[in-house]
Amino acid sequence: MTLRVLIVDANLERAEAVASGLTADGCLVVGTVPDHADIIALVRSSGADVIVCDLDHASRDAIDAMRALHQDEPRPVVMFVDRTDPGSTEAAMAAGVAAYVVEGLHPGRVRAVIDVAVARFTAHQALRAELAEVRSALNERKLVERAKGLLMQTRRMTEEDAYRALRRLAMDQGKRLADVAESVIAMEKLLKL
Amino acid sequence: MTLHEAALTVDQPRASLAAGSDVMRLGFMPLIDCAPLIVADELGLFTRHGVTVSLTPLNAWVALRDRIAIGKLDGGQMLCPMPIAAGLGLGGVASALAVVSVLASQGNAITLSEALIAELDLPQGATADPSNIAASLARAVRARAAAGRPKLVLAVVYAYSSHNYLLRHFLAAAGIDPEHDVILRAVPPPQIADELAEGRIDGFCAGQPWGSRAVDLRCGRIALATADIWPNHPEKLLAISSATLARDPDRVTAVVAATIEAGHFLADPANHAQVALWLHERALPQVPLAVVRAALSTTLRRAPDEAPALFASPNFDPALSCPSPTHGAWWLRQMRRWGHAPQGTDDIIGQIWRPDIWQRAARLAPPANRLSPSIPTQLPCPGDLA
Repeated sequence: MTLRVLIVDANLERAEAVASGLTADGCLVVGTVPDHADIIALVRSSGADVIVCDLDHASRDAIDAMRALHQDEPRPVVMFVDRTDPGSTEAAMAAGVAAYVVEGLHPGRVRAVIDVAVARFTAHQALRAELAEVRSALNERKLVERAKGLLMQTRRMTEEDAYRALRRLAMDQGKRLADVAESVIAMEKLLKL
Repeated sequence: MTLHEAALTVDQPRASLAAGSDVMRLGFMPLIDCAPLIVADELGLFTRHGVTVSLTPLNAWVALRDRIAIGKLDGGQMLCPMPIAAGLGLGGVASALAVVSVLASQGNAITLSEALIAELDLPQGATADPSNIAASLARAVRARAAAGRPKLVLAVVYAYSSHNYLLRHFLAAAGIDPEHDVILRAVPPPQIADELAEGRIDGFCAGQPWGSRAVDLRCGRIALATADIWPNHPEKLLAISSATLARDPDRVTAVVAATIEAGHFLADPANHAQVALWLHERALPQVPLAVVRAALSTTLRRAPDEAPALFASPNFDPALSCPSPTHGAWWLRQMRRWGHAPQGTDDIIGQIWRPDIWQRAARLAPPANRLSPSIPTQLPCPGDLA
């Protein structure tokens, strides 16, 4: 299936470079706009499957609001950042930002980044639904037990090692144990897909 | 605090924090109520409390959220529901934040088109009475439905915003179902007055100066202040990444202390001419200085041909700056009410709202500034918080 991409970027030179790279890779670029008065209508009418956007673009709040306000099908958003920054891409992935296209990236590689973003996004959407159930069905202690069990099963860890691994991850990331456990469960499912 | 007193203290650092890495990198949006950050910077209050702060202007709330999530910023000015949305990972981006201060209370305007105002047919002299407007709006919505006319279209600036939830609360209290009886849209603030002028929306709820901009364009009337829905409701927060707070609680505390002092400076109308100049230079260069100046004052023109009248502009009183978990829980309840957040306990609020950090900061802020380091008493809230 042809992937329909909408590019929203004030930097038209960058947008054009990415657009031609994507077209060469078999994507259909449905629009390249620096800005738009009614971005939501544009997203809908263009039938875009994915939006490639500048991280700081003023239209991002409206795009982000589409799901909560309009019950639109959420779409993955892939972002440009202004400059290459080691660690940013990893941090973005960990935070759940669908993907990152850093400046200087060869236009021909954008397609690969978008494919990863779409795959991750789809998995994430499915997981969100499942996780909502998990969250209500299990209390936090049970989440930790389940993550521990998964680690023991898939990583051949002892119960004590699994618990320590979770604890360390929680401390490193400044997160609560239950949150880390939830991420581990999500990640294990993602790897099984 | 007067400008003179503030100037006297600029070059006398009171605190010297242990050598730490870094600059505290904060983001802000081009709005009147980013003022505490700009003022603290201009008066050298951050430096006085021993912390170096860099301020970055942004064009979108989610850009601020994402820059914090990927570690490019330590925190910044934020809408009340945003730290909750980030903590719950709504919109796909999860980020642990701590709310350490309230930068500004109230100050948004609900602006309706001239055509809608005419349709409401308000009783003479009752154009600014919230209960009259609510009742008329409900009648208009029902009349449109009965006549098969299109639903009213109302805009807010962003989904996880005080604007969205206060407007929904107001509509619901008037017997209007915001999900079905009207159409709610998100429009970026700089376009929102033009959308009204071009008739694509019938009204909007946004921070100033965008309501006044619509009045300037002669296309709308500021019908209500969000303070009419909840007086002195918390509006903008200072939120810091939990990782930064854990790593450097003293610097975060110093930042809060500086913004509390900035609040004292802002509370004195004698300083507003100077504040307007700073805001115009650093946050709102595209908005005329006179409009910025007017947006700070408590009187403004609600309709094109009317004399300026009282308006509940952003309130920077430091007595309102302690972040209250009770208020946090109200926003979370609204997010659940409209299906934006999953059901569950309010535990997340206790992790995000950190009045303890504010209280530490309140002890640092000089007593000469008349600071009362107590948690403000319970504010009047919309009915369903009770």
